[in-house]
Amino acid sequence: MAKAFGIISSADNTIYVDGLQDYRPIGSFSFLGRFRVIDFPISNMSNSDINRIQVYLNSKPRSLCEHIGSGRHYNINSKRGKIQLLFSENTSARSIYNNDISAYKANIDYIQRMHEDYVIVAPSYMVYKEDYRQFLESHIASGAEITVLYHKVENARDYFKGCHTVALNKQKGVQAIEKNLGTANNKNILMDTYCMKKETFVELVQDASWMSSIYTLPDIINLYCKQMDVRAYQHKGYFASLTSLDDYYHASMELLDYNTASDLFKAEWPIYTRTTDSCPTQYFETAKVTNSFVSNGCLIEGTVENSIIGRGAIIGKGVTIKNSIIMAYAEISDDIRIENAVVDKWAKIINAKNIVGTELEPQYIKRRDIL
Amino acid sequence: MAQNEMLAMILAGGRGSRLKDLTTKVAKPAVYYGGKYRIIDFPLSNCANSGIDVVGVLTQYESVLLNSYVAQDGRWGLDSKDSGVYVLTPREKADEGLDVYRGTADAISQNIDFIDTYNPEYLLILSGDHIYKMNYAKMLAYHKEMNADATIAVRGVPMKEASRFGIMNTDGKGRIVEFEEKPAKPKSNLASMGIYIFSWKLLRKMLVEDMKNPNSDHDFGKDIIPKMLSDHRGLFAYEFSGYWKDVGTIDSLWEANMDLLDPKNELNLNDSSWLIYTEDISTLPQYIGKEAKVKKAYITQGVQVEGSVSNSVLFTGAVVKKGAKVIDSVLMPGAVVEDGATVTRALVAENIKIGKKAKVGSKTSENITLVAKNVKGGNNNG
Repeated sequence: MAKAFGIISSADNTIYVDGLQDYRPIGSFSFLGRFRVIDFPISNMSNSDINRIQVYLNSKPRSLCEHIGSGRHYNINSKRGKIQLLFSENTSARSIYNNDISAYKANIDYIQRMHEDYVIVAPSYMVYKEDYRQFLESHIASGAEITVLYHKVENARDYFKGCHTVALNKQKGVQAIEKNLGTANNKNILMDTYCMKKETFVELVQDASWMSSIYTLPDIINLYCKQMDVRAYQHKGYFASLTSLDDYYHASMELLDYNTASDLFKAEWPIYTRTTDSCPTQYFETAKVTNSFVSNGCLIEGTVENSIIGRGAIIGKGVTIKNSIIMAYAEISDDIRIENAVVDKWAKIINAKNIVGTELEPQYIKRRDIL
Repeated sequence: MAQNEMLAMILAGGRGSRLKDLTTKVAKPAVYYGGKYRIIDFPLSNCANSGIDVVGVLTQYESVLLNSYVAQDGRWGLDSKDSGVYVLTPREKADEGLDVYRGTADAISQNIDFIDTYNPEYLLILSGDHIYKMNYAKMLAYHKEMNADATIAVRGVPMKEASRFGIMNTDGKGRIVEFEEKPAKPKSNLASMGIYIFSWKLLRKMLVEDMKNPNSDHDFGKDIIPKMLSDHRGLFAYEFSGYWKDVGTIDSLWEANMDLLDPKNELNLNDSSWLIYTEDISTLPQYIGKEAKVKKAYITQGVQVEGSVSNSVLFTGAVVKKGAKVIDSVLMPGAVVEDGATVTRALVAENIKIGKKAKVGSKTSENITLVAKNVKGGNNNG
């Protein structure tokens, strides 16, 4: 195709995932043990023949830079394609001025220099599978000026925090874009994914920045949707927005249903990631593991139920882990019980005998923390 | 290591015919091992970890898969500017026509032009058939320290098994005084591992002479090493004490996989300072299902277990369905054990399906059962 180039946006300054985001941007969060969240949008683009991709970083870029590297593992031709890592360097992540428009404005030359006529913008903080070739074809066929991707959900009161909702007319014209305030369960969630001509995108960025320093892309589209032809394209299948710790936890637990997970990971739509070359996982004589995803390189002596275990984690004897996410290289010493928790990378649980959260409010254990 | 001070050549032409159906379409170095690896990942990763930049892989028997596998040198990190993995198969030459590699030494001789383009000081000769972790840079340091013409890696084997190996007799200070191939009455238990470092100038000269010798088998063990000994060259034995396995038979391949089930196994593939690199496959992590029972197992990504697995090694994409039992077995990539089937003391080849309720293998069989054809469902399949 290569009619479009890709932009992968970072979460705006109103979104903050407690705990996890202290250490890295959402795109760099571990997901389902062996992936990082950004693997999903980049793989979607790569599988859709988009091989020139701009990734916008707004803070703590180290882990994402390392993970993305040359982009070779995303199956992008290293001569014809490239992944650009772009920064908006002026402010801190939580500053009111640090939003998507200011980042695009700062890099507008690099956007204008792209050869492709169209742009697909996708977020680094949501997980879904979508063929952007079809999304683009539908956009072109409809004659719309902007097409946005949305997903119908039935749990917008508890989840999809920080997301926007779209109000649609019967022809799927966008009437309004608003923050999800959790007022109703049935909502159309905006997937922060857009398709438009490159010139349209550049105009929106210019206009938004002239109007207000705090306008975001959804803000300006909301403002213009009455005068422009803005349409919505429905996404079906698994969709998660990792914009709060509860959302992250809930989305991960949903994938423990193997059918849901295998729908997201089809052989013809590979999700690429950077290999860490870890060896297979060792299950000891005493291991009891059920309904769990386990990454490579782990040593498992204890009991694991309904959980996700990251690479190289050590689960000691007599340990019980239930409904939890244990990230890479965490060590859980003998006889410890962990329920409804998210244990960050390299954490060592030695002395705390019980770490228990609730389904709606999982307990979070900090990276490299020793408990 | 200074650029191309030492070049590695991996002899990967072996058929491995005792591996039966596993090697009808692929050469032995491409056979799977250890849940996610192929045998040749070991010498290639050892090269990468030892700081060797250029590796030639000499292939001959059923080489299509092996050639395309090793050509992706990025898998072992050997894709930086001055490094690479190069596939060297027999070729047609202007004055001689097409000739196969007649022996291990001939395989090197026929590629002298390749080696000359790098003009290395030393040449490392490896076999593509063995599973071990070794730092060749240390062996090179020993070679230099001894001021050797050739250094041969050796490993102590039990004396009663020594007559199955090529045995090196030394003078007690590491200098090799005699080499005996499979001696009836071994004088030492130092077995050659088929790993040689040669000073290239000397070896080059000897290979050119060897090529002209009509009585030569063009083999390192039979011709080059004995000739060096009779010429009183400095040959030294480099003793290696770690894990080393030649997985030449189905039983030994099974056994080498089973070795990994001991969490304290000597090979230790979990050592982050000496990783073994391999093909990167896009897949889900391993999923252990709601009713699954997994104990004492070595399982890699992409595996799905709904049944029970004990004392077994499961490769990428293997599936154990509900009520199925896998005991003391190895499931190679993509092998599927259907509902209610039982696999005992068996090695199930790549992409093989064991039908519902079928039973393969036996707890008491003398040899490990190799399953290389799909097994139909039913109640009585051996």
